[in-house]
Amino acid sequence: MIDSCCRIIMRRNSVAFLISACVALAATACSGDSQLDRGAGAGSATLPAQDAHPSGPDSSGLPAEGALSRVPIGDLAGANDNTLETTVKSPYAGNAAAIAEGHELFEKMNCAACHGYGMKGGMGPDLTDSYWRYGGAPADIYKSIFEGRPQGMPSWGRALTPTLIWKIVAYIETKGGAVSAVAADRERQGDESESDTTAGSTMKGRNSAP
Amino acid sequence: MKITAIIAISFVLLACGNREDAGRVTADEPRPRDARVNNVEALSGSWLPPGAGAGDWAMPSRDYAGTRYSPLTEITTANAGQMQLAWTFQDGQSSYGHEMTPLVADSTMYIVSPFPDRAFALDLTKPGAPLKWSYSPNPSPIAIGKACCDAVLRGAALYKKKLIYNLLDDHTVAVDAKTGKELWRTKLGNVEDGATMTMAPLVVDGRVYVGNSGGEMGVAGWFAALDVNSGKELWRAYSVGPDSLARIGADFHPFYSWMRGKDLGATTWPTNAWKRGAGAPWGWVTYDPDRHSIYYGTSNTGPWNEAQRPGLNLWTSGVFARRASDGMAQWAFVFTPHNEWDYDGVNENILADLPINGVVRKVMVQFNRNGFAYTIDRATGEVLQAKPFGHENWASGIDSVTGMPHVIPAKETVPPGRWVRDICPADVGVKDFEPSAYSPRTRLFYVTTQNICMDYKGREASYIAGTPYWGAQMTRHVGPGGNYGEFIAFDAATGRKVWGIPEPFMTYSGAMVTAGDVAFYGTVDGWFRAVNARTGEILWSRKLGSGIISAPMSYIAPDGHQYVAIATGVGGGAMTTSSQKGFPPRGDTYYVFTLGANIPSTPARGGATPPASSATGAMP
Repeated sequence: MIDSCCRIIMRRNSVAFLISACVALAATACSGDSQLDRGAGAGSATLPAQDAHPSGPDSSGLPAEGALSRVPIGDLAGANDNTLETTVKSPYAGNAAAIAEGHELFEKMNCAACHGYGMKGGMGPDLTDSYWRYGGAPADIYKSIFEGRPQGMPSWGRALTPTLIWKIVAYIETKGGAVSAVAADRERQGDESESDTTAGSTMKGRNSAP
Repeated sequence: MKITAIIAISFVLLACGNREDAGRVTADEPRPRDARVNNVEALSGSWLPPGAGAGDWAMPSRDYAGTRYSPLTEITTANAGQMQLAWTFQDGQSSYGHEMTPLVADSTMYIVSPFPDRAFALDLTKPGAPLKWSYSPNPSPIAIGKACCDAVLRGAALYKKKLIYNLLDDHTVAVDAKTGKELWRTKLGNVEDGATMTMAPLVVDGRVYVGNSGGEMGVAGWFAALDVNSGKELWRAYSVGPDSLARIGADFHPFYSWMRGKDLGATTWPTNAWKRGAGAPWGWVTYDPDRHSIYYGTSNTGPWNEAQRPGLNLWTSGVFARRASDGMAQWAFVFTPHNEWDYDGVNENILADLPINGVVRKVMVQFNRNGFAYTIDRATGEVLQAKPFGHENWASGIDSVTGMPHVIPAKETVPPGRWVRDICPADVGVKDFEPSAYSPRTRLFYVTTQNICMDYKGREASYIAGTPYWGAQMTRHVGPGGNYGEFIAFDAATGRKVWGIPEPFMTYSGAMVTAGDVAFYGTVDGWFRAVNARTGEILWSRKLGSGIISAPMSYIAPDGHQYVAIATGVGGGAMTTSSQKGFPPRGDTYYVFTLGANIPSTPARGGATPPASSATGAMP
């Protein structure tokens, strides 16, 4: 188990640090975790069968990649009753052990260096407010981590397993910035929440020092 | 030589009592170009880019010595209060921090924007300076998220009808200054690994000098020379690593013994740690045409967490003097060995001749991030003077024998994982990249300073390519007195502050000083000020549309008059104070000022005679 986990990570980054990171990750993430399938990162052949509206986490406890692939980044033209992404639940939401692992990963994988140890932003955006360029529902956050985003967010889909990414999502959710799938849906259609004071700012969060 | 002769004659005319009349020029008194120039003290000839006239500003610091001194004399301490807005320009492309300096040559103003790094040429021969051309290099947006401190660009260089500058995604481009057509584009690094380029190149004798950014991203800092005609890389000198990479050879003679030895750029680190050790030369380059030497600083040491790199960590947080032709090192000096506080060494090294203890020495002066102003013999690297120029509490002084700081133990960040309170200055330094100015008339340096301290905690940093290799957590607060900024005049010969203007917001703009003894600077809350360079008296202020972190410049327009230009658009390291009440929004506007009498009372319309009905409207 440890071997397979670390091979996945080291494929991309054969750097000395990651050997120690792998040991750390193995202790937390790989033990007792049989769900290491690579989803889209390993090619579409491994995708599970897709339902039109998947009903929730698959048999391994995680949402099907097929469901995630249909969570849109932008608006859904003409969809006045879009419930697609509300069916993708965050599998570790509220799970204290998973959140602790997510916290550790958030710092070890350098998420904190960009987004801040308190997630208040830096090189990367604030994750504690309600404005999300690419959506703030758990499935949106998962996809942003997995796929990367155009302004420098690396794609972690090949370095981290879905399980580990979902644990990071669970940790991000604890900081209050993540929004419910319903709210995310509303934002996507232009009806942003009243508390949002930073909508439209793609510049926010760039407040780190040289 | 011919230009010098004309200027000398002009100066004689000005000296015979004409200077006081400078503000009262009317349109029916045609003025020859360069008429209002005092070039007696100013650098000329080989200290300027080829072909640059006295009224031009062809590189960010105007001259190779980096003085940002303008020999123009129309605007004086007596009439600066009469300056009015002549025209404005918006790049309309980018709200990232505007850290550049506009350039002027051949009756054209050249502007480069922050990301997406567009270039614009404005026609100064026509009213309102309409756009001649624009150029869009379309750099990769990945670069935005790899830049530690905003997607900035510090400027371009004009050299023999080429406009040359860096793109954030690690390319250098040359553009035909007349047409805006790209002449060459050279890739110098991999942005996906975390390296970016933000500095303004220096061009001398057909060579373009550039360096990388990425001190927070685990890069190895390098400095390269490119052929100005082809863009081809001629050589590259690393700031870390063995002597072969650092271009250190038999001609290398550092003044201090602790910098002498073989491969110190590798052996003053744990094994291979230099490969992620930063030392990125993202600041300014100066050049001494008499010695044929270039001078540039190296960035902070990576990662910030010092526990991951025991050793002196050469040649980061220092300065190199190199032979301009082949880049071989002549000497080096490290300001902050084993840097624990992010005190980069990249600030401008201004070259000047200063009387030190009664003897005129050829020196370079750097106002370092660590709060000390270093006056260094530029032939040998000997520190002649090192005194604080603002509030610092991390070192009690600089050792006169070794040049090393005496670090105050309570401000050491070792061991990491605990908060160290109230370290002054904060990571942004008493002064950051924003360039100072030097007047050979007053022999004073004009410096925008910061008064910010930090609470700091070292954190374990993981190296993952393309993500930060940082290793620090911190909060910042204002220093004693409660003023975030102060504009000062400093005597680098004696290490003494002469006067200062405290500002409630950061002063993070570059400075300029003129032969009219007027110094210019801007504030992060958007005030652009002209002050008496001798007394510090504020002569004139205008509130502009956003905060000012760019550097002012001055030129003679085709109408024969002196103008002053500045860009607004807060961002960059100034965002460290963005939670301050009243902090302005971002922006992208360039402002040009001149004496009110120079602005036609009736706006001309493309050179045509305006209709009589519009003749009553006075310009502001």
